[in-house]
Amino acid sequence: MRTITFSIVLVALFAFSITFFGQVSTPSPGIGIPLGPLVSGTDFSGSYRWLNHQDAGLFTAAGDIADWGGIPLNDAARLYALSWPASRQTVKQQQCMGYVPPYTWMSPGNHRIWEERDPATQRLVAIHYWGQIAQVDRTIYMDGRPHPPAYAPHTFPGFSTGKFEENILTITTTHIKRGWIRANGVPQSDAATVTEHLIRHGDVVTVFSVVNDPVYLSEPMSKTSIVVRQAIAPDAWLYACDDSEQILGRKNDYVPSHLFGQNPFAREYAEKNKLSLLGAFGGRETIYPEFLGAVKDTAAAEAAAKAKMLPSGPQQNSRAPDPTPNDGNIHVFHVTGSVYLLAGDGANIAVQVGAQGAIVVDTGAGKLSEKVIPEIAKLSTKPIQFIVNTSFHSDHVGGNKKLQAVGADPSLTGSFFSNQFADAGQGATILGQQNVQTRMQEQKPPMEAPPSDTYLEDRRRKYHNEEAVEIFPMPNAITDGDSVVHFRRSDVIVTGDIFTTTQYPFIDLKNGGSLQGEIRALNFILDRTVYRNDEDGGTLIIPGHGRVTNEWEVAEYRDMLVIIRDRVQAMLKNGASLEQVKAARPTADFDPRFGATTGPWTTDAFIEAVYVSLKNPPRSAN
Amino acid sequence: MKLIVIVLLFAALLMPSLALAHHSFTATYDTSKTVTIEGKVTQFLLRNPHSFLHVTVVDKDGKEQNWNIEWAAAGQLGGAGVNRDSLKVGDEIVITGNPARDPADQRIRMVTVKRTSDGFNWGFRQGQVVD
Repeated sequence: MRTITFSIVLVALFAFSITFFGQVSTPSPGIGIPLGPLVSGTDFSGSYRWLNHQDAGLFTAAGDIADWGGIPLNDAARLYALSWPASRQTVKQQQCMGYVPPYTWMSPGNHRIWEERDPATQRLVAIHYWGQIAQVDRTIYMDGRPHPPAYAPHTFPGFSTGKFEENILTITTTHIKRGWIRANGVPQSDAATVTEHLIRHGDVVTVFSVVNDPVYLSEPMSKTSIVVRQAIAPDAWLYACDDSEQILGRKNDYVPSHLFGQNPFAREYAEKNKLSLLGAFGGRETIYPEFLGAVKDTAAAEAAAKAKMLPSGPQQNSRAPDPTPNDGNIHVFHVTGSVYLLAGDGANIAVQVGAQGAIVVDTGAGKLSEKVIPEIAKLSTKPIQFIVNTSFHSDHVGGNKKLQAVGADPSLTGSFFSNQFADAGQGATILGQQNVQTRMQEQKPPMEAPPSDTYLEDRRRKYHNEEAVEIFPMPNAITDGDSVVHFRRSDVIVTGDIFTTTQYPFIDLKNGGSLQGEIRALNFILDRTVYRNDEDGGTLIIPGHGRVTNEWEVAEYRDMLVIIRDRVQAMLKNGASLEQVKAARPTADFDPRFGATTGPWTTDAFIEAVYVSLKNPPRSAN
Repeated sequence: MKLIVIVLLFAALLMPSLALAHHSFTATYDTSKTVTIEGKVTQFLLRNPHSFLHVTVVDKDGKEQNWNIEWAAAGQLGGAGVNRDSLKVGDEIVITGNPARDPADQRIRMVTVKRTSDGFNWGFRQGQVVD
């Protein structure tokens, strides 16, 4: 009995000590362990500054032009970098470009790390990072949550999860925007994933990072950076980048670039430092000691370097994963406000919901309409009232008939004006630019359920579901009947195929499309967008195909098209034939991201569309 | 003596890297060259991360040209006493700086600026550099 009483007292004292002193150093299983995974590891909290001794030669973490030795960049990345002039940074959307991991660790300014713990359990939920330059607001989730789906937006910091391996914090990051490996032109694509290992020794944290980039690296790139903890946190933590008219009078379809083989500064760094140009041009081979043998024959090395200034080898397919789920199911993603994305049935479907009936922008290919309809019904208690078609292409209008049938337009039902129509209000009203109706009706056989409410004006507008909705026709872009839709309160723009994240624009020459109209339409979209900070957030974009973005990806797409246009235009001026233009591979630096050698829209077909557009400009281009 | 050198090197290593830009000046400008322009202010944008000064210059043929001058961050200029009222449209100024590598940009990285009417200036004292 005394033993039992003594034991109870002992347990009570132990519990008392936990409550008042919190001295549980290593909890044993079953005692004092909070719900959920228990994470323990090094505390990295503090204010840090980059110690750039190992990158001192780079000075600004950007380096000189064509200083790329030791970077395993592939041929496409090198061409991209050789085509890149620093003047590109004067383009409005490039001025406040964010920093991606791991490049962010090399940024000047302050870095702050702090822990977020659940107030009830003190469980480590997340580790936060704030980088002063570009206001990098990064959360590293430690609670085991999954990464978002592929069709979710990317950001410059990306989406990070972490775990402790002994005392090393290992971070896995996906959903990163296109950024820099080195800000002298070497890109890190938006298909890259990054693993970082943080190791702390006193006030020094070593960040060992590995970049896997299927688009622009030929093997994973590893690098270390060092940050040093500061005893006193500085008071300046903002960056507040604000873009401006850096070059007055510049047109919005001007994007500075060097034509292939014509970068006047390509040799400067190598010559200044008496290095082999081949070495300065980087590539996986420059990482390994055997490379020294390759540059012993200076004539051969020079010839090899010169060859790298121009596209060579076979045309490349995109190596970026397709974010579209092709599993036979419809995937719903809340974009923001009252707007949702439904992905999985061909082109993206956008749905706006509220107290009134739903507005649906594009109806997909129609193969999964039976699954699309119940998903919309889950979002909206009211039937579909309006359908807007951004184009007449079958992957955008394929579901028109079925979605229209389950909808209703109460603005017509019982209306004084509609008494003469037997079917007034039955089914959703389909809107589209007049040419969408015309093109659908002229197909053989005619396509089902074309728009009945058409427009030729520059702006069709509605106030629906407590939101201003604007529909803008975009002449001669993908076709002669494209539209973009702007949900203004939600601040979401649905672009149709004018912008995709998956391929070069499907410029349908036969149906009135043109490169000039496509670039003009992208600039129109960019004139309506605003970013939140450092080209992240703000106005969100639902593309015709691919993932949700903001203006950054639209600007990158516009820049790419302008650069390709200028290359083809330069060849046209020299009298190049279509076959000669194709052979010169004017898209070589973008092919691993957007190219296709097979399928319905190949790189060759795109180049032909560019060539023909420039040779025979549409009337609207004047 | 040796000890002093080591201490100085160590101090340099630990010195806050405030003088590090967010983009590559060497890639943007030809820092080995300096040019001088004289003209009138057409616009002054006090911004982050860099301010911009637009200047109209009359060339030797009597034609007006726009020059685009990259200046320091708003906060950095504020620390040097430059504020949004320091320069007005129409002020006549003399600027020296590094020219852009792309001549089409007509762009200069500010090294010094001086207003001819009253001698207002920037870039002549320690720490007054665009970084």
